[in-house]
Amino acid sequence: MLPKFLLPPIPKPPRILVIVTVIGTTFALLPPAIAARMRSENSREPRIHLIQDMDNQARWKAQQANSLFADGRAMRPNVEGTVARGELRTDDHLERGRVIKEGTEVWADTVPTGLEVSEAFVRRGQERFNIFCAPCHGWSGLGDGPIHRRAQSLVDGSPTLSQGTVWVQPKNLHEQIYIDQPIGQVYATITLGARSMAGYKAQIPVEDRWAIAAYVKALQASETVAETMIETVATPAEEN
Amino acid sequence: MGRYHYVFPKWSNLLLPGALFFGATFPLYAVFVVAFGFSPKTTDVGYMPEQPIPYSHALHAGELGIDCRYCHNTVEDAAHAAIPPTQTCMNCHAHIKKDSPLLEPLRESWESGQPVRWVRVHDLPDYSYFNHAAHVNRGVSCVSCHGRVDLMEEVWQEERLSMGWCLECHRNPEPHLRDPALVTNLAWKFDGEAEAEADYHERIRDQFAVNPSQDCSTCHR
Repeated sequence: MLPKFLLPPIPKPPRILVIVTVIGTTFALLPPAIAARMRSENSREPRIHLIQDMDNQARWKAQQANSLFADGRAMRPNVEGTVARGELRTDDHLERGRVIKEGTEVWADTVPTGLEVSEAFVRRGQERFNIFCAPCHGWSGLGDGPIHRRAQSLVDGSPTLSQGTVWVQPKNLHEQIYIDQPIGQVYATITLGARSMAGYKAQIPVEDRWAIAAYVKALQASETVAETMIETVATPAEEN
Repeated sequence: MGRYHYVFPKWSNLLLPGALFFGATFPLYAVFVVAFGFSPKTTDVGYMPEQPIPYSHALHAGELGIDCRYCHNTVEDAAHAAIPPTQTCMNCHAHIKKDSPLLEPLRESWESGQPVRWVRVHDLPDYSYFNHAAHVNRGVSCVSCHGRVDLMEEVWQEERLSMGWCLECHRNPEPHLRDPALVTNLAWKFDGEAEAEADYHERIRDQFAVNPSQDCSTCHR
């Protein structure tokens, strides 16, 4: 049995008390409502960071801005005309794909000593090719990658859509002149670029560029290989 | 009036149960507001800063299928997954849409040599040392921490990136493991039954000796 004062009829409180209670309850609902909205929407505003701890310390991490330097970079570029220790690259075969043969400098037709053309090496080249080359040259090297198709559709579209796109189809790597190129020249093209293709030496380490060149040679050979040479190899899907 | 002036009115009987009700519910309310409102899900997740160029990952990584590592090319070798330099953008945009007004900051950077000032989306506290290479090379996909970036027009923070969240995976990494060849395939899902999936994750864990430490010094060095 409830105590008597809790039983109806409930005495009517003064109006001011009712108003204060209603307003107070409404305001109490605001913080959860704001939080619920913040959870459900993306926000341009900087993250709320009430307790700083030592989350942002007086030091710079990679690629941060630092107003101390005129160019605003915290990471300092090499001083022009200098070579960092261990960065001097003098091996022409490895770095430039060039070798001296009978007194003249020519394209290397082997991979540099120290790199071994194994299945793992070519597979690495395939993986790197698919990352860096396939967007333009296509996964099979026919010059029909998704970037080519996109750029071509922009050129074929209206000028408002193409916005100045100038496009030459990426080369088909199975053309005879590329099949005839020594591996050193393929390596040099990856490194420095050619015509409208940019060089990739900043994006791909030197060993990986050789691995890609080796894979390109394997890819080219795969187009002309005799049927009798084809072994049945389990595909990765079957291995799983 | 007279002596009744000093008698409490009848409604004052409401004050005691009212105060009891308030006293019982307010602590619950306060705990709820702090837990709900101050959680990183509220304060951090969904952060989507405006970038100098409205670069679309949905177009480049999703529709065109460019691998994450084409631009973030240090991710397998370094702790830091590099934001690409202007050169990487210009590999294509020296030819494609080179008059686009949206690419004006890119052309400006290309001509001046000043970097494009991209705004960082994912930022850990300075006392935690996350290593991208250690994770992606052992089969933790980008998607585990960054969400389906290949579907985002503009990138936002998808996960909490709090210590508790890191530890969830360090205590039980298996659901997040896959063949390292598949780490940048954000749409990948194991195709098969739950039991086979558990076996698969365990096999990857064994193969790459994934034994994440929960020591303080693992992340706080």
